[in-house]
Amino acid sequence: MTVSLADLPKGHEFAETKFELPPEWGAEYTAAVEDENTAPDAVPPLSLATLSIRALFDQAALPDGAIHVSQEVNFSLGGQTGDVIVARARVASRGERAGWVLMGVELEVEDETGTPMMNGRATISFPAVAEGRADAAD
Amino acid sequence: MQRTERVRSYQAGDELTTITKTLTQEKINRYADASGDRNPLHIDPAFAAGTQFGGTIAHGMLVLAYVSELMTAEFGGAWPSSGRLKVRFRGAARPGDTVTASGRVLRIEDGRTSCEVECRNQTGEVLISGEASLRTL
Repeated sequence: MTVSLADLPKGHEFAETKFELPPEWGAEYTAAVEDENTAPDAVPPLSLATLSIRALFDQAALPDGAIHVSQEVNFSLGGQTGDVIVARARVASRGERAGWVLMGVELEVEDETGTPMMNGRATISFPAVAEGRADAAD
Repeated sequence: MQRTERVRSYQAGDELTTITKTLTQEKINRYADASGDRNPLHIDPAFAAGTQFGGTIAHGMLVLAYVSELMTAEFGGAWPSSGRLKVRFRGAARPGDTVTASGRVLRIEDGRTSCEVECRNQTGEVLISGEASLRTL
């Protein structure tokens, strides 16, 4: 991971990421969020957003002092452990106000046949000039 | 784990099933491992003590998962296949906090049921608020 999200302009597209939903990871995520209502072999739908954000952080670090301001997700197909999924992300918006950058990152997840599973948008805010890792939060 | 699909008709004002969890540092650490987000603000108490938060806080997406579970508990398979969620993160959840996710039906129109959803801590502070909807017809 060599770049920061803070360095990316509006329109930047992250490299497409393709990966499997391993049963072990599904179990790890489900245990971590203590989800007692997801069907066996299914993964909690929000895990798709978590995975796509994780793939994004593999390519660009969260800026110093960043705050996760808001989150939108639209689900269209539930995931199962063993599914192969494809995640994409792009910087959809970027603005600056009163010394803070407000960045919108669009996320898309589909299965390996191209069927949409989820899309969404994460909005983060961080100091326009970040100095040292002080209080990044999400 | 057994899960049953509920057959229930809704109307505006109906309260949804609540989900309550107690956060611990261990649970936050476990989520950090699962999500890959090992920001020290979440997992390093010494580091977090020097921030504006004064201590570690939970990942926003961890707390948001409680809202998603609430919707699954209430609406079953319609949530992962047609759910929409739009929220703002308004407060920090900390180790030791008891977080309750709740919701209420706002309206039912055009085949979609829309609900206001939120998470609060044990003092009533709003951590997350927003709207969730899904296809129910």
